[in-house]
Amino acid sequence: MTDLAPTPARPAAPRRRMPRDLPRFLLLCLLSLVFLAPVYWMISTSLKTEADAISSPVQWLPRHVTFENYVSVLTSPDGNILRWTGNSLFVALAFTVLHVLLCALTAYPLARMQFRGRNAWFWFILSSLMIPGIVTLIPTYIMMLNFGWINSYHALIWPGLSGVFGVFLLRQFFMGIPRELEEAARLDGANSLQILWRIILPLSIPSLVTLAVFAFMGSWNNFLWPLFTVTDVDKMTLPVGITTFSQRYVTEYGKLMASTTLAAVPALIAYLVAQRFLEAGLSTTGLKE
Amino acid sequence: MTVTPATPSPPAQTTPAQTTTAPAPVPRRRLNLEPYLYLLPHAVLFFVFTVYPIGYGLYISLHRWDLLSGQQPFVGGEFYRNLFTPGTPQFDFFWKTLWNTTFFTLVSVPLLVAAALGLALLLHRPIFGRAFFRAVFFMPGILTVSVMGILWRWLFDNQIGLVNAARDALFHAPPIPWLSTEGLAWVPIVVGTVWWTVGFNMTLYLAALGNVPLSLYEAASLDGATPWQSFRFITVPMLAPVTLFVVVTTALASFQLFGQSLIITNGGPNRSTQSVIQYITEEGFTNAQYSSAAAMGFAFGLVMLVLTAAQFRMMARDVREGGA
Repeated sequence: MTDLAPTPARPAAPRRRMPRDLPRFLLLCLLSLVFLAPVYWMISTSLKTEADAISSPVQWLPRHVTFENYVSVLTSPDGNILRWTGNSLFVALAFTVLHVLLCALTAYPLARMQFRGRNAWFWFILSSLMIPGIVTLIPTYIMMLNFGWINSYHALIWPGLSGVFGVFLLRQFFMGIPRELEEAARLDGANSLQILWRIILPLSIPSLVTLAVFAFMGSWNNFLWPLFTVTDVDKMTLPVGITTFSQRYVTEYGKLMASTTLAAVPALIAYLVAQRFLEAGLSTTGLKE
Repeated sequence: MTVTPATPSPPAQTTPAQTTTAPAPVPRRRLNLEPYLYLLPHAVLFFVFTVYPIGYGLYISLHRWDLLSGQQPFVGGEFYRNLFTPGTPQFDFFWKTLWNTTFFTLVSVPLLVAAALGLALLLHRPIFGRAFFRAVFFMPGILTVSVMGILWRWLFDNQIGLVNAARDALFHAPPIPWLSTEGLAWVPIVVGTVWWTVGFNMTLYLAALGNVPLSLYEAASLDGATPWQSFRFITVPMLAPVTLFVVVTTALASFQLFGQSLIITNGGPNRSTQSVIQYITEEGFTNAQYSSAAAMGFAFGLVMLVLTAAQFRMMARDVREGGA
């Protein structure tokens, strides 16, 4: 892996810094090796023949590099990794677009309009953050049964859209936008929707993107809910589909590791592209998971 | 919840941008429907998928829900009483798995906080390759729990996993059956979880360390403070708020343990690593005991509520201070 992000500017350093920093540097190198070893082992196993994958003594490097595990996983009749990736992508994109839109529409009046019940409604929906998800798991599942939404993308998209953290995040941001801009637009005859679309949203792009990234990641990595609401192999998302492989290939380690490597690739690519932004967003919102 | 967000923060605390945050007053007297129309779409979803399921869940837990017969007789608190009646499977396994989850939290939170702080301290000051190291420690967190789980189950495989292979290569030690030994089965789950999530906390600590004024350290070093004293009397107190936040969010996440133990050990051996959420889903979805599972959901929800309330208080403080 290459050092994609430029190292932050260093303050003018005294000349004697390097020797003192050497132990710290070596310790970091050692820790990095420990952190990277599992990923190395996953990729390395995926490139080995089955005999080499379980050979003793252990093969630190693949002796005969082979892609047969990848071919076999990608053409397996037991499930289709590309299809699962497509399902995940569709569900996560649909959820993200709808979620950001809903949160923006909701946060806008809460941040910038005066009306009866504004604070009451804000605190009412915000208090739902205190309700742990496990409380609504069974009733929501039975609702999905009643709606006929089991094994449907609907079950993976709609319930999560009632979430309110994004409303809170955007409201906080919208409140910081200067009122003068809005007043000028109003004098020019803009209605509230135009103000939202032309002024508030363009000025809020950093917070909108932050919300979108976390919404997408949350949906992409969702595991428990899709595990129980989608049992049809063709409708599964990637995290759930990949576990069905792991049950089938429980003793075929090369294939197992090829499938997890493939499942990790979209996230790794997204991470390498968005790394700095992701971490910045995380440390400013205090959002975890 | 006594905060009134309409009032702008006191002037002493505000940044320039915040002096103009008060929403424009609406001059007209007549009822303006506009704001309510904006709120409507989300409000509908909120009532359908958040408010209604809470009441519906309570209803389910007070009835005997049988999807096949279609009959749901009222049974009152029976499913709650089961949780306090020794001898029922619900009593045995609910408390056992709740303890498992608590045990996991008690072990993993200190590790995740200490390791995150350690990594952040190592990376805080500039060093060659800093961005690379940050990326390496943060990266595992982007993997889905299934990839992480399958990988760590393989690493700790009883026979030919990397951990046993390394023990063999380095010490000629016999393989340890990690996954099928009670107690030891927690090792891959905890180690895997630390590897998987420590980067998040590290990032929060790095941000907080960047906010500690350097002048404090300069003053301390002029006064002859040792590095340990600087750490103990400047860094630790200055990091106290973020530590509180990290502890609460990590505990909250640890109490939600589900995927790691499901995939790495499938709750075994002998339910010794089964999480309470896994047991609730087993009772609901595998045994089709929806009412019993709903009652457990409420019972466990009550436990979680305490932790969530602590986090909520911290968020409310954010609202007061106008930060996000």
